[in-house]
Amino acid sequence: MTVDGIQPVEVVTPRDVAELAAAMSSAQAARRATVISGGGSKLSWGRTPGRVDVVVSTARLSHLIAHRHGDLTATIESGATLTDVNRLLARHGQWLPLDSAFPAATIGGIVATNDSGPLRHRFGTPRDLLIGVTLVLADGRVVHAGGTVVKNVAGYDLGRLVSGSFGSLAAIATATFKLSPLPATSGTIGVLYRERGALARDAQLLASNQFEFTSLDVQVTPGPGGPEYRLLVRVASSPSATETQLAAVQRLVSAASQMIDGRAETDLWRDQVAAPWIGNATTLRMAWMPAALAEVLTLLERIGHETGATVTFTGRSAVGAGLLRLDGPPEKAATFVERLRDDDAVANVVVLRAPSEVKARVDVWGEPGDAAPVMRAIKTALDPAGILNAGRGPI
Amino acid sequence: MHESVLAELRRVCGAEAVLHEPLQLLTYECDALPHLRETPAAVVLPRSAAEIQDIVRLCARENIPFVARGHGTGLSGGALPVAGGIVISLARLNRVISVDIPNRRVVVEPGVTNLEITRQVAPFGYYYAPDPSSQQVCSIGGNVAENSGGAHCLKYGFTTHHVLAVEAVMPDGSLVHIGNSLPDAPGPDLLGLVVGSEGTLAIVTKVTVRILRKPEAVQTLLAAFTSIGAGGQAVSDIIGAGIIPAAVEMMDRLTVEAAEAAVHPNFPPADTILIVELDGPTSEVQEMFETVETICRRAGATAIEIAQNDEQRMRIWKGRKAAFAAMGRMAPNYYVQDGVVPRTRLPEVLERIRALEQRSGLRIGNVFHAGDGNLHPLICYDERIPGQADLAEQVAAEILTYCVEAGGSITGEHGVGADKRDYMPRMFSDVDLDVMQAVRDAVDPKRLCNPGKVLPTPRLCGEVPGPYREHPLERAGLGERF
Repeated sequence: MTVDGIQPVEVVTPRDVAELAAAMSSAQAARRATVISGGGSKLSWGRTPGRVDVVVSTARLSHLIAHRHGDLTATIESGATLTDVNRLLARHGQWLPLDSAFPAATIGGIVATNDSGPLRHRFGTPRDLLIGVTLVLADGRVVHAGGTVVKNVAGYDLGRLVSGSFGSLAAIATATFKLSPLPATSGTIGVLYRERGALARDAQLLASNQFEFTSLDVQVTPGPGGPEYRLLVRVASSPSATETQLAAVQRLVSAASQMIDGRAETDLWRDQVAAPWIGNATTLRMAWMPAALAEVLTLLERIGHETGATVTFTGRSAVGAGLLRLDGPPEKAATFVERLRDDDAVANVVVLRAPSEVKARVDVWGEPGDAAPVMRAIKTALDPAGILNAGRGPI
Repeated sequence: MHESVLAELRRVCGAEAVLHEPLQLLTYECDALPHLRETPAAVVLPRSAAEIQDIVRLCARENIPFVARGHGTGLSGGALPVAGGIVISLARLNRVISVDIPNRRVVVEPGVTNLEITRQVAPFGYYYAPDPSSQQVCSIGGNVAENSGGAHCLKYGFTTHHVLAVEAVMPDGSLVHIGNSLPDAPGPDLLGLVVGSEGTLAIVTKVTVRILRKPEAVQTLLAAFTSIGAGGQAVSDIIGAGIIPAAVEMMDRLTVEAAEAAVHPNFPPADTILIVELDGPTSEVQEMFETVETICRRAGATAIEIAQNDEQRMRIWKGRKAAFAAMGRMAPNYYVQDGVVPRTRLPEVLERIRALEQRSGLRIGNVFHAGDGNLHPLICYDERIPGQADLAEQVAAEILTYCVEAGGSITGEHGVGADKRDYMPRMFSDVDLDVMQAVRDAVDPKRLCNPGKVLPTPRLCGEVPGPYREHPLERAGLGERF
């Protein structure tokens, strides 16, 4: 196991929360640079650290503690994989509607990175489904926030606070989520476009309609004759509601469409989630105003031409959030990131994974906003020795 | 309050925006939880974030506690003033800054009412989802502070799911932007911490919310049952069938009687009334609505009414939403609680509340969001009878104990505020509360921002349970232990 190419001095694998707490407090006592790891699928994300003294792995904290199916909630140890959890929840016809590109991805890692995919359109990101957490601070204290009921405003929402913290504030020991019933059926309409303007118009038309889509995704891939544009619309509901909505989508879109279901549909979405991570490319996250999709696609193509980077793009068109894969020499990818950040049409450009040459040239997190002092003050309060995710960010 | 402070406040906001005469201050003594009252030293009514920054900087310099206030509709004493402190009213920050239909977002100042957002976007077929019962008058700033919910949060979530970004004045007077109007701002979800922090971490001066398309179809059904258990069974079966209604509400006999007397919704006579609303695409709603109706009949509904049009739907909701105010007819005073239990534990907890009603001699009406287990017991009392107000408070505390024992929460949407801060240890350990306090101290080290709310009696930061250890502040002669 390496953390972005850096070999940790030691890997600790606690078996329960008490051992996790002991591992944390001894790391703090010895001022050891500590990285919390779940399935290890995102250990190359973030800045490259100078050194890693200890990796605290939650791999053995992998139990589904409680599935309160009557209440549509579940409490899960952080080291359980999303795949395993959903297999167990399905026994009662429920699921935790989150995506991950990585089979090894754990609940803790998904929350800590607030990672999401096409299901975000309907269900939001992990922080939207999180209703309670158990955290372990660097000094070994075990802290609870939230609870096991979906409606609860007692106390500070520390669960949301650690969402997106990348393990820099605390280790997540357990997480409690609200769940959803598994849909009875699912179907997807795929639409292929020759030009980005038509894609953007249809995406906006569908987003401002009264459907309840499960996903409304766009995809731009390099093709032999230039970029290929696709719109992917998923409906998962009762059989008749699914059929009716998908038929309406087919009537509304301006290009030839194809209905995909069954195994082909499962494969399609798996590929859509996996697309940004193929090979050893640079993968970026970025956000845009949904109505500016055409402008954003033009921008990506222009910077792609200027820099020579090959761009693959997947995104949630009604949310305005997505991932870019940049293939080609690292210096081209680095220039791409710099130019992208210079343009106001996109924001929150974060380099998630990249070769070391790219990370050497651009900061993976970008410019901190004016709330950075508040975040740093909270970081100091929770991790006074600064051992957690030291050198990797985001704080 | 020292005259020089008042003079400086007048210089910042103008003389007419600074209130300090006892009669002027009366309005600000409490929010919608009138049994907790405190007179502030002054009230200021700024018009801009820059003015708020100046006020907060002045407070920080002079060590004056300050409390932000929206429209004062809170039910937990979250806007209760601090003696000797300043109330910063956000009523004049009431501009709608932008309405962006193509991108489905609206930017408003905190004094804009919840319903005003929907009014702005309704002509375009959109609405703002969180709908607390007070939505006609409550402010969006207050909603952000309390993470307000409403009847429809079972399907649509709370304020925290609909706020994209805020601009806020921090306790040191700095102006910061938390989240930005685009998704995935890097780093910890500070916005998620601030929403629901009850005005203890920052004063929000601008809010970006997302708006939703009005659903294509809405169907509302009212079912009468002879027992809470039968109604509860219907709710369990609906959820068990994989249906997430937009709203599931229940009212017991006492609240139905009260609502009937007040607004005449013409509900059928029943021990328990269940209201189920489904919304979404027409095809989906129709299919699921049939299932809901079948489930209600199977669970023993004695009457089922289906709203055939908007007018009939409004009548049903009027009956439900009037329940609180209508209780005023049943008793001179009442106390509303806001506990939550896991939905499956509702029958058992309601039985305990019934037993408590008999034991205490105080009538307790129950109206609740049955889909998410959020109870609103209305405890009737008469403050003219010596001891009854105290008894009502004891009964309320007992109910919260039942909620926590069932694995629930002391508050689902009203907030902890000043009202329930002393119940926090029933839900959270000393360590949990110490860490929450540490987060608060990191953001507000001088403890001036809405002190006395959310967390029980303040602890010294860094104080840990166990044998006595001298705190750094004590060592430095800056604090002492009592």
